[in-house]
Amino acid sequence: METLTALAGGFAVALTPQNLLWALAGVTLGTAVGVLPGIGPALTVALLLPVTYSLNPTAAFIMFAGIYYGGMYGGSTTSILLNLPGESASVMTAVEGHLMARAGRGGAALATAAIGSFVAGTLATAALTVCAPLMVELALGFGPAEYFALAVLAFVAVSAVLGESRLHGFASLLFGLLLGVIGIDPLTGVPRLAFGIPQLLDGIDVVVAAVGLFAVGEALYAASRRNDDADFVPLRGSLWMTRDEWSRSWKAWLRGAAIGFPLGALPAGGAEIPTFLSYAVERRLARYPAQFGRGAIEGVAGPEAANNAAAAGTLVPLLALGLPTSATAAILLAAFQQYGLQPGPLLFQHEPRLVWGLIASLYVGNLMLLVLNLPLVGVWVRLLTIPQPALYGGILILASAGAYSVNRSVFDVGLIYLIGGVGYLMRRRSIPLAPAIIGLILGPMAEQQLRRALAIAEGSPVVLLTRPISAMLLGAAALLFFGPLIVRRWRRPLQAPSDST
Amino acid sequence: MKLFLTLTAVVALTSSPGYLVAAQPSSSRLTIIAPAAPGGGWDQLAREMERELERQQLAGVVQVENVPGAAGTIGLAQFISGRRGDGEALLVNGLVMLGAILWNESPVSIAQTTPIARLTGEYEVVAVPAASPHRDMQSLVRALRENPAAVSWGGGSAGGTDHILAGLIVAGAGIDPRRTNYIAFSGGGEAVTALLGGQVTAGISGYSEFAQHIESGRLRAIGMSAPSRSGVLDVPTLIEQGLDIELENWRAVVAPPGLSGSDRQALTALVERMAHSESWRATLTRLGWTDSYLAGPAFDEFLDAERVRVARIVSRLRGTSSPRVGEWVFPFLVLGGAALVMIALIVRGGATPEPPPAGPRASNGPVVRMAFGLASFVALLNLAGFVAAGTVLFVCTASAFGSRAWLRNALVGLTVCATVYITFTHGLGVSLPAGAFLNAR
Repeated sequence: METLTALAGGFAVALTPQNLLWALAGVTLGTAVGVLPGIGPALTVALLLPVTYSLNPTAAFIMFAGIYYGGMYGGSTTSILLNLPGESASVMTAVEGHLMARAGRGGAALATAAIGSFVAGTLATAALTVCAPLMVELALGFGPAEYFALAVLAFVAVSAVLGESRLHGFASLLFGLLLGVIGIDPLTGVPRLAFGIPQLLDGIDVVVAAVGLFAVGEALYAASRRNDDADFVPLRGSLWMTRDEWSRSWKAWLRGAAIGFPLGALPAGGAEIPTFLSYAVERRLARYPAQFGRGAIEGVAGPEAANNAAAAGTLVPLLALGLPTSATAAILLAAFQQYGLQPGPLLFQHEPRLVWGLIASLYVGNLMLLVLNLPLVGVWVRLLTIPQPALYGGILILASAGAYSVNRSVFDVGLIYLIGGVGYLMRRRSIPLAPAIIGLILGPMAEQQLRRALAIAEGSPVVLLTRPISAMLLGAAALLFFGPLIVRRWRRPLQAPSDST
Repeated sequence: MKLFLTLTAVVALTSSPGYLVAAQPSSSRLTIIAPAAPGGGWDQLAREMERELERQQLAGVVQVENVPGAAGTIGLAQFISGRRGDGEALLVNGLVMLGAILWNESPVSIAQTTPIARLTGEYEVVAVPAASPHRDMQSLVRALRENPAAVSWGGGSAGGTDHILAGLIVAGAGIDPRRTNYIAFSGGGEAVTALLGGQVTAGISGYSEFAQHIESGRLRAIGMSAPSRSGVLDVPTLIEQGLDIELENWRAVVAPPGLSGSDRQALTALVERMAHSESWRATLTRLGWTDSYLAGPAFDEFLDAERVRVARIVSRLRGTSSPRVGEWVFPFLVLGGAALVMIALIVRGGATPEPPPAGPRASNGPVVRMAFGLASFVALLNLAGFVAAGTVLFVCTASAFGSRAWLRNALVGLTVCATVYITFTHGLGVSLPAGAFLNAR
């Protein structure tokens, strides 16, 4: 009941004409960046951060959340028509969706993706509405030991499940942690790994790292393996789904939502895993399994629903604990910090208008996205005709301007290029980028929480294991870390390397 | 034209005593530097001053500049080295900066600047969770004397006001402040969360951070660092409870070093007129800030006394600061982990060669072209300006993607850059470098 009152208050905030406009701007921008290959919501929010200082935080977050959701919708368009996932979360959509498009059912694929995203997004937002306040109650009992354990679990989960191998995941994570160490240690005032460079004393801004990895690294990578003959299938056929397609889609949407939300809420790397899982589930449960591999609509409906539900799921730990579990969430956390806000249990008390306005705007944004993506899908398809040279040229100009405006220093511009170079090498060795961003933003938090926990316990590390929640979280992390090694040893004879795509 | 205006302003400021400047101010310029990112207390003070000075037409053009970094010490260092003798600049600072200079062992000092005036301040409150056994400071002091390490203090950044007060209280209890078990939290309520959750024994903060929870009864205020109780805040002072401690988290403005006497007078007069106005008082009330205006020799003395007091306590607090887990443990763990992963990657890479990724083969030519574009951008940005440097970057990038239409790309690039430049500088208020050519004009 209390939640409903709060949510009603949120709608009062979200439905003001001004905030509706920000939501519209966000979802439009989000869809656009989702459609365009190479830029995603994490990069877009990072680029917008330095220029939204003057905006009031509620408006900014309504827009950012719109970008996050919009990116999930837009990603499907590129996957289906171009077989180029605009987002890592729409990789699975590309598999069946592109086959559908080639079979002349591109319209139906886009429709099931958009409607599925809407259904799952709305259900997951409702789940977020219910879960977040419960999580807040739980989070008040969290001390430094618990936060440290939570961060460790997030590190292990993100590195172990993203990308092709655990080793690659940890390489990326450690790169992020290393970047996070640079600068003045806030507890002792001692500069670390700054090598006497004054611009490094304050550490490396998450915005700078994200822009470097995602914009510059991506541009270099795209240039190095230029794809002149992308398989673009123009949109043909009706946007309407047949009765049969509806009946095959709706269960997949619901299952996708049920898989996406909880997995998104766990510290396990956002939307990629749920889409893989949803695809596998649909394949197993399908009425016509033989259609998988030839354009099965369930294979689009499930993963698309799952990725939107997961996006809502990620907001639960972000808002209630201040714990980001995906690259975009990490940037959103940086955005909160820019406004001097600390996501966590108190945010719901101190900034109810912001939090509930944001949640309410997610319902509104989902509705807007359905309208934007179904009747207007033709407009978005036209975005795909922007030639690559101009697209990446434009991205680099914006990235450079954005990086410069963080601190008004050329040094930061050089830094994003340098980090972009590293990002390019990582992509060439298929090392995932998201763990690096998570490591950068959570690393300093983990370190400080650990040192706080130890100081409060007068130096005894046992505190991490005597507090039940902390012990449980660390246990889960250990299981995730060592579990696969043990399992592999047991079933070595049976084990065959599975292809992750 | 700009140069002419500036010249007139300089002449007006340097040649006339304070009251004259106040009388004919509309041509004067003033830059207020907030050595912090937008949004914090120093930035807020700078922006309120900007608004006030312009509204009252005490100064013609007032501009706020943010120089964030290292709790203000980066802004201070730039201010001291870059603005020597500049009579049109003020730097916002405060007690937190005094602490940070010592804590970060910054090579600069506030003593190198020219003090102008203290403007506002806030007293600190010591609070405990509602369930805590401590009902007053005496009880907390007894616990401290029993085992100083068992009393953990939660507050803001290390070396800041909250930390200083914790050190003063421990010292006031007759214990070596080196034994203060202070847990630094970053701002924005993290310390409050820890206090509400009972993670620390006591919390220290400005009243505003605690207000809501003290009123709702979840926190109990047991001491306040003011000289006497005030009507708004009926909490026993530390002095009443036998600890001779008074601490105000003040904020002030200073001028650059090497200022002429008349410049200093003019700036002081300017700030004084603003601080004594009705509308400034209204602003303070609106923001819930206390007026603690102090200028002239009295402020000089105050600043000196604070420096000595803060230096004494912070140098002793610093002694404790590498308690159980030093600042190098975590970096070494990370570096060690990185080395292990590197070795593993190399070993595995040697054993099983990377399977060539699907899609077209990677080629290096385009990467080199783009890298050239990026390098030129960095080299040209401040020299030739954003638009020119960006156009070069655009053309190089396009060529890396195989486009050979040089002229068309240059035109498109120019348009894109000009649009971004205009949007950023005029639409968003974020200035991009215009280039040496434009600046010279």
